[in-house]
Amino acid sequence: MVSRFLSDLLRKIDLGILLPVLLLVGAGLISLYSATHDAAIFVKFQKQIFWSILGLLSVVLILLSPPRFFHYSAYLIYGFAIILLLLVLLFGKTVAGNAGWFGIGSYGIQPSEFAKVAAILALARFLSDSTTSMNSFTDLLKAIGIVALPWLLILLQPDFGTGLVYWAIFLAMIFWAGAEMLLLLTLLSPILVIILSIIDIWYFLGAAVVVSSLFYIYKRNLGVALMFLAINLSIGFGVQYLYDHLPAYQKARIAVYFDPTEAPLSAGWNVIQSKVAIGSGGLSGRGYLQGSQTQLRFVPEQWTDFIFCVPAEEFGFIGGSIILLLFTLFFLRGIILARLIEFRFSSLVIIGITAMFLFHVFINIGMTVGLIPVIGIPLPFMSYGGSFFLTSMFAIGIILHAAMSRDRIA
Amino acid sequence: MERSSFASRKRAYTMGAIFLILIGILLFRMYELQFVQFDSFRTQAEKQSIHQISKDPLRGLIYDRDGNLIVGNNPSYTLTVTPFKFDWSSLPLLVRMFQVDSNVVRYRVSRAGMHSFEPVKIARDLTFRQLSLLEENRTLLPGVNYIVESRRIYTMKPRMAHLLGYTKEISPRLLKNLGDYYQPGDIVGFNGIEAEYEDVLRGRKGYGYHTVNALGKVVESFDHGRSDIPAEEGRDLILSIDMDLQDYGERLMKGRRGAIVALDPRNGEVLAFVSAPDYDLRDFSGRIPVDVWSTLRDDPASPLYNRCSMAAYPPGSTFKMLVAAAALEENIIDINTRIQCPGSYMLAGQEFGCHGAHGDINVVSAIEHSCNVFFYRLIFKLGFDNLKKYGTMFHFGQKTGLDISNENSGILPTEEYYNKRYGTRWNIGYLVNLGIGQGEINTTPLQMAAYTAAIANGGTYYAPHAVRATCADIDGEAEHLPVRSEKLAMSPAVLEIIQRGMYRAVNGSGTGYAARVAGTRVAGKTGTAENPPNPDHAWFVGYAPFDDPRIAVAVIVENGGFGGTTAAPIAGAIIRRALFGTPTYVPQEIDSSAQQPIAIPVEASAHAELED
Repeated sequence: MVSRFLSDLLRKIDLGILLPVLLLVGAGLISLYSATHDAAIFVKFQKQIFWSILGLLSVVLILLSPPRFFHYSAYLIYGFAIILLLLVLLFGKTVAGNAGWFGIGSYGIQPSEFAKVAAILALARFLSDSTTSMNSFTDLLKAIGIVALPWLLILLQPDFGTGLVYWAIFLAMIFWAGAEMLLLLTLLSPILVIILSIIDIWYFLGAAVVVSSLFYIYKRNLGVALMFLAINLSIGFGVQYLYDHLPAYQKARIAVYFDPTEAPLSAGWNVIQSKVAIGSGGLSGRGYLQGSQTQLRFVPEQWTDFIFCVPAEEFGFIGGSIILLLFTLFFLRGIILARLIEFRFSSLVIIGITAMFLFHVFINIGMTVGLIPVIGIPLPFMSYGGSFFLTSMFAIGIILHAAMSRDRIA
Repeated sequence: MERSSFASRKRAYTMGAIFLILIGILLFRMYELQFVQFDSFRTQAEKQSIHQISKDPLRGLIYDRDGNLIVGNNPSYTLTVTPFKFDWSSLPLLVRMFQVDSNVVRYRVSRAGMHSFEPVKIARDLTFRQLSLLEENRTLLPGVNYIVESRRIYTMKPRMAHLLGYTKEISPRLLKNLGDYYQPGDIVGFNGIEAEYEDVLRGRKGYGYHTVNALGKVVESFDHGRSDIPAEEGRDLILSIDMDLQDYGERLMKGRRGAIVALDPRNGEVLAFVSAPDYDLRDFSGRIPVDVWSTLRDDPASPLYNRCSMAAYPPGSTFKMLVAAAALEENIIDINTRIQCPGSYMLAGQEFGCHGAHGDINVVSAIEHSCNVFFYRLIFKLGFDNLKKYGTMFHFGQKTGLDISNENSGILPTEEYYNKRYGTRWNIGYLVNLGIGQGEINTTPLQMAAYTAAIANGGTYYAPHAVRATCADIDGEAEHLPVRSEKLAMSPAVLEIIQRGMYRAVNGSGTGYAARVAGTRVAGKTGTAENPPNPDHAWFVGYAPFDDPRIAVAVIVENGGFGGTTAAPIAGAIIRRALFGTPTYVPQEIDSSAQQPIAIPVEASAHAELED
């Protein structure tokens, strides 16, 4: 009975998703071992084993849940996540300048990670409603609101990096839901504005005016165009205000992004050391447990945000490429699944989750290779850290769950 | 269900394309780092993980001629800062606790570069109180530590400060001049033997290679220490100094200003090198206390000044042997030539005096009685060219080649010298004065001793040297340093005449009787260097035993008056002590304040070097 159930489960599981993920989890553990094996931080490796097992169990648990379970409970889960975010703001403890932690013994839990998946579920639920139209301005505002609420709560923690992920997910999902390209462009403009406003106030003002004018030319609606301009301006100035009030460590991270050599011993250290680690790996790497940068602990926080240095240094370009290839296989399979599944909710959920992972991978590896500012975004399946790892496994469970039920729904 | 735009094939492809482009950007960047910039990153990784830590060798020891230790090493505690670990906010505390100059710390720590894991020396000779302060405050002073180094100790009674020199922390200027070997905070020899034999004494720093982690902690030795370069210990020096004689000489000169240089005429070895007043090297064997330094520097008697080889005085009558030898060698006179001394010499309407009318005398008597007229006439016949020829032969106006660089050449005036100095406003009388060692001629006591030694040994000029040999270990094999010598172009017969004159000057009816020593035959010559308006300087040069010279000595007592009464007894005592080991002359204690301050011919950079 049990074995039949298991073989049934295995037959229905989408291996195109599961296999790359399992391999990446394995690669993560191998890397983590290398980064921690002979030091007091080895306990992190042991904890991660625990998280891996817990993660896989939760995947199984999710697979056992009834079809359309997440469709039904999307808003409930979302509401629960918002409450958690509020609670953590009030009662959370602070780790590295970030107040978004619940402590349970020596384990810390970040609700902001769970809230990402909750927001994906809620947004997918809203966008898949037959009453929702991508051409309705109010519906668009509602969709933005769904994402903006957790985003704002996370900004208050403050966690700028995690906050950004929400908008990447949002854009991917409304794109998938059929939003017009022009709309997407105009929605992208705030992101452009945010980046420009950090560089120079005139760049951002110019960009806001140009995009708003384009909006008016295409839409011929002066009121909406002006409102759009107002939103862009307030975002731009808001970011400037926020930047001025950012904690020093995040400000330093942003400043140093423009020139890491400016502060080689403090804020720029991570990026420089991580680049040295990756660059010195060459084609085939320095050998497992042989990377001097990793073994001599030159890269601070290597086990979390900078875990990618380990395979890139010790297994070189080959090792790093294999990891990128596994991620790519996973992403492409995600898009294919989202195409195959006709149940709009599931399709949107899969796209949202895939986009979330892609964004994480791009930002995280971009950080370690010195392309993107260090904004504290972990590498899915590989970085040490329970909250995001479990969130990732939940998300994988949800994809597999959606994929499993597709024959029944179709 | 309307599927015109929701999850359309076009949108799936667009999304897939965006995903692939983003992944492609990452791949390209990895290619850049791991292929294009691979070499520089690999080098950087190796450089920052393998660190070189230098190991200072022990400085060589200094022994006397009998193998007794003169200068040794004692442990001392040096404050260090490891730049990588140092927290600049703790600088004020560091400055307060150890009384260090914050600029020194800044300079040394920042000079170490970005990733220096090697401790930089900040201050020497920590007291035990400071050590315990450091231990108590370690957490407040990250990267601050101490190392055990050695400092000089002086084990014997003689001070010999001017000959030995001392060690000191290298100055920024010297650091620039000496090149790569030294680091700020390193010890380097200053003055004397410590400076001259720096390369021998210091040894060679060793280098250890360690794998270091990002916290600057040494993880393990690199390549199991196979690439390490062991420190090479400094070689020891064996001096030719006779410590008993040196000590005795220092006691003889106590309360006086002047110098004694005693040489072995058989090889040029320095037996005693006394410059008075002097200073205690023990005060210099660590951080020199500021008050000690300023007292020494401002003392009108200039104790820091090396009178043996840096101070130059007119030689007075001790120069007459040179004039006589030159005239004999040039066949201007021979042993039988007699010259009439009426008590003065008239030249171009100018009268040059003598101390008495010596009558009709030959060269031996002229030296014996120190007859001025005889030598006025000789020098007049010899002229500037011969003076230069024979003066240079005996290294007047030149360095003797002593093996420490604190040496003054003195002045041997020539026509060009006077032309340059006075233009046309000088006359032949200037030359005449040189015949009796007065006027612009200046010689150091060391030059006079070496000159006397060359006369004594029958015409070989040995470069004086205080270091006999070097060795790795005093019980091991010593490597003798080459002795430099020149055979003078002078017939032994000429020098024999000079020697007879000197013998008579001491043992006949001459001025040097006070230098007689019972049991041996001493030859010598007194001299009195005019020093207007202050009292004359008293000279004596001599050697013994007459038949088989084993010691040549030059003594000068500043403002000592007549050479025969002040300098000759000291020279005699030195000779007696050197040959027989017992004192014949116990000098009376002299109140040094009774001595007139003198204008020391500060020529060279003795002080500048000291103050570097």
